[in-house]
Amino acid sequence: MRRLSVAVSILLLSCTLFDTAASAGRVTLPAYERVALDNGTVLILNRHAEVPLIGIRAVLKGGAVADPAGMNGMAGLYAALIGKGAGDRDAASFAEAIGGVGGMLTAGAGLESIDIEADFLARDADLAVELLSDMLMRPLLDETEFDKLRERSINLIRTAKDTNLNGLMPDYGAAFLFGAHPYGNPTNGSEETLGNISHEALLAYYEAQIGGDRLIVSVSGDFEIDAMRERLTAAFGGWRPALEPLPEVAAVEPESGRRVLLVDKPGATQTYFWIANVGVAVDYPSRAGLEIANTVYGGRFTSMLNTALRIESGLTYGARSVLLRPSRPGSVAISSYTRTDATVEAIDMALGVLSRLHEKGIGESMIESAQNYILGQFPTRLETAAQLAGQLAVLEAHGLDDSYVNAYAEAVTAADRASVEAVIAEVYPLPDDLVFVLLGDADAIRDSIAKYGPLTEAAITEPRFRIPSSAQQDSGNR
Amino acid sequence: MGSLAETIMIMGLYSEMRRRNVFKVAMLYVIAAWLLLRVTDYLLPRLGFPHWADEFVVVLVLLGFPLALFFAYIYEITPAGVKKTVDVDQTQSIVYKTGQKLNAALAVLLVLVIASLAVSRLFPTFPFDEEEPPPHVAKPGVPPEIRGRRLENGLKIVVWPDHDIPNVVMYNFVRAGGRNEYPGITGLSHFFEHMMFNGTSTREPGEFDRIMEAAGGANNAYTTSDVTVYQNWFPSSALELVFNLEADRLQNLTTDPEVFESERGVVYSERRTAVDDNNLRRLHEQVQATAYVAHPYQFPVIGWPSDIEGWTQQDVMAFYRTYYAPNNLTMVFTGDVTADEVFELAETYFEPIPAQQPPDAVRTLEPEQQGQRRLIVETDAQTPMLHMAFHAGAARDPETLPMRLLLEILVGGDSSRLHQLLVEREALAVSVNGFQDEGFDPGLVYFYLTLPPNADVEQVETRLFETLAAVATDGVTLAEVAKARNIVLADFWRDLATIDGKASALGRFEVFYGGYERLFALPEQVERLTADDLQAVAAAVFRRNNMTVGVLRAPRVAAAPETP
Repeated sequence: MRRLSVAVSILLLSCTLFDTAASAGRVTLPAYERVALDNGTVLILNRHAEVPLIGIRAVLKGGAVADPAGMNGMAGLYAALIGKGAGDRDAASFAEAIGGVGGMLTAGAGLESIDIEADFLARDADLAVELLSDMLMRPLLDETEFDKLRERSINLIRTAKDTNLNGLMPDYGAAFLFGAHPYGNPTNGSEETLGNISHEALLAYYEAQIGGDRLIVSVSGDFEIDAMRERLTAAFGGWRPALEPLPEVAAVEPESGRRVLLVDKPGATQTYFWIANVGVAVDYPSRAGLEIANTVYGGRFTSMLNTALRIESGLTYGARSVLLRPSRPGSVAISSYTRTDATVEAIDMALGVLSRLHEKGIGESMIESAQNYILGQFPTRLETAAQLAGQLAVLEAHGLDDSYVNAYAEAVTAADRASVEAVIAEVYPLPDDLVFVLLGDADAIRDSIAKYGPLTEAAITEPRFRIPSSAQQDSGNR
Repeated sequence: MGSLAETIMIMGLYSEMRRRNVFKVAMLYVIAAWLLLRVTDYLLPRLGFPHWADEFVVVLVLLGFPLALFFAYIYEITPAGVKKTVDVDQTQSIVYKTGQKLNAALAVLLVLVIASLAVSRLFPTFPFDEEEPPPHVAKPGVPPEIRGRRLENGLKIVVWPDHDIPNVVMYNFVRAGGRNEYPGITGLSHFFEHMMFNGTSTREPGEFDRIMEAAGGANNAYTTSDVTVYQNWFPSSALELVFNLEADRLQNLTTDPEVFESERGVVYSERRTAVDDNNLRRLHEQVQATAYVAHPYQFPVIGWPSDIEGWTQQDVMAFYRTYYAPNNLTMVFTGDVTADEVFELAETYFEPIPAQQPPDAVRTLEPEQQGQRRLIVETDAQTPMLHMAFHAGAARDPETLPMRLLLEILVGGDSSRLHQLLVEREALAVSVNGFQDEGFDPGLVYFYLTLPPNADVEQVETRLFETLAAVATDGVTLAEVAKARNIVLADFWRDLATIDGKASALGRFEVFYGGYERLFALPEQVERLTADDLQAVAAAVFRRNNMTVGVLRAPRVAAAPETP
């Protein structure tokens, strides 16, 4: 009856979201339950009933770093294929089961994990768990579906090369910076490496690299904890472990000197650039100082990079500094783009900002501004059930404890100018030690960018992201 | 008469009311009203009564209650008919017998209540209502903490307090967008959006952002063919500061010539990234321009390149004076605020801004399309593209919601008709998507497909149109309608999971759908739609003469891309 349910829904909407000491950015994690099952699967449960939804984040440790040699994209292809039929449902009925109730269930590969996100109305929680456990433990892995999916995945990369040039830069960049190291694996593969993957190889990968010991299931939303714990335990407690160990990922040192990759896209109206070196890992101890430094340098609208390249010169729509911090040191990169004839002007300007960061550091008032900004925006990152489920899963996957979130605000507040400057010196590369990736109209810029370092060149239509550096002998660590 | 007064004195008012069956009547009334509301709640919508009919019945029932008690007290049923109690000889009174009849009636009604509860428990929906069960999810009413208010100068403000996190979201919807432009100033609404961050007579260019970020806030803005929307996300401690900043740029904007030229470069870069280097958006821009011959929806919101190069400071200031008046704005605040504090700050900061003559209305309506239109974009492309657009309705037209459900059935996710047919079963497309414009004026229903290299574009077009035409002739299944309803319902709740989603949804409904309150009627409206409604809207829209088709492909002479 509507009038009754009005009262119920008002109650729901005004329910307090989670038990936080939520003032001025001091958000802490809500109470949650962690259960380690005998097979190694970890369950995380958190009731969060603001809206009648349930969010599940399942994380399988591994990801693109565990792709077999020459078969980049295996984790991504596996993640897509388990949605093409599982348990008693073929591909079409599996899709119908999700869509029929207005649910969302997506799986994709990241660098170090395969992430599955389920977002269902709370009334369909049982179905969500059933579909999730089916796709993980009882996927059909059908060969016809595999063939279609592989072909489609290859075409989606071709489409990205026609439509989303800036979006390609992280893959070209990581592959050029890290080379053959697993952090150079394009997360969804390339046209070439996807083509190398056979159905048989995928079945072997499923046995070797997927299993209950790799799994974290984090659930947040409108449900009863006891019933959900029992359901998840019954669903996942018996899953076999992966047959082979997770590959060890070695730490890479930052490299010295410069080298340049130019990806040719004839007719492009702009040059897209990504300029980087090796940075730091997820467990970097001075994370708060680093966030402050990056906010000021390239992490928000008024950052030094965006002020120089956009606000003051109008050379670009956006310029920023992007830090990737996986379990081992990842990349620290300048990312921007500009019209073709302004390529050198914009890149020189970005390098000038990097020099200024090292030479002049960051003033007290800017540090305070960044502290306020980080603390002011932080609560919005833990607002929904899905965000909470994701955050708790990520902490578990990286073996981080609650203080990663709960002590963050305090650490941000405590950082001072000296600690931030120490971080800058430690993390950001000097302008002489950089790996450049430029994507644009090569004929128009080739000569003028030669000054940045030894050049490697490839056409955008080449079916790969990993372009062997013709100047590897010049680089410091290879 | 005297003896009656004595009786009252002795027994007291309570006993007299009891004697006159007032309490029994009250109980009877409450139970009967409950049953009546249950029946009307079920029947009225199904008999086609408007939404407010339910509320009307509730009001009648509430008004009737004191009247019933009054009449029970004053009048009495006698063998000779209804008489005033004071006129009845108490020795002849039959109130006791009447009370027994009332008891019997109460018993009957209680049995009905129990039966009704049992039925709804056993059969969540009535057995004959078999189209599909309604979702077991609380249907939302308008949360009472939401408050709206229009200031003296016409500025509408809506506030939804939500104290889960110590943050506030503020959206300012300005009724100015691509539809207010004409050749020469295309893209100006969007460029103006950028200039709103670039200095006032009291603040330097860039100060707006520096002050906001230093106080913990972030901001952004977007422009569509209909509106320009400014967004601020900030800790509640910065609330008054945001009022100050917004009031300043609404009254004191200036344009520094150097900043103006620099920002022109920024927007040009935005165009190059979003359109010129992006085949999908290049084709969309051409289809949009071709689908309309009269209405300004034909202009790209980012602007044609020559206009980007040509905008003047005079253009910008004229635009500011015309559209940035309080009576042309709608502001929404959600999060850690109270309505009272927002209204008080609004009175201080916004109410002094004078109202203006409303801008001229956009008068042009797109005439009926007189035949199919086609275009080809030839460019470097590894994967060809096919776009298909049909003229349809405006946001407030009754066809919009059935079309939204229909689009879920056609392109909403992997189980949708077009994805299953074109991507999964026949592998004719790499992806298929679609949307409808929901603006002030009639817009387009739009499908866009990415095709494999060497695709037979004509074949794909045929299959696509056949599928759409089949909906017009054969309709959709009840299961598909149920699915679409569930998707819309789940999305409704997803929107309300964040204060940002709440601000966006309230603002869109206030600006485009005739009031923020209507947001909360959506789940119920969706439930009332039938397969026939969806078929009717398909028949009206999916016609060849109403269609614009765009194809993007490599020039015929180019070599086909190699397959690994």
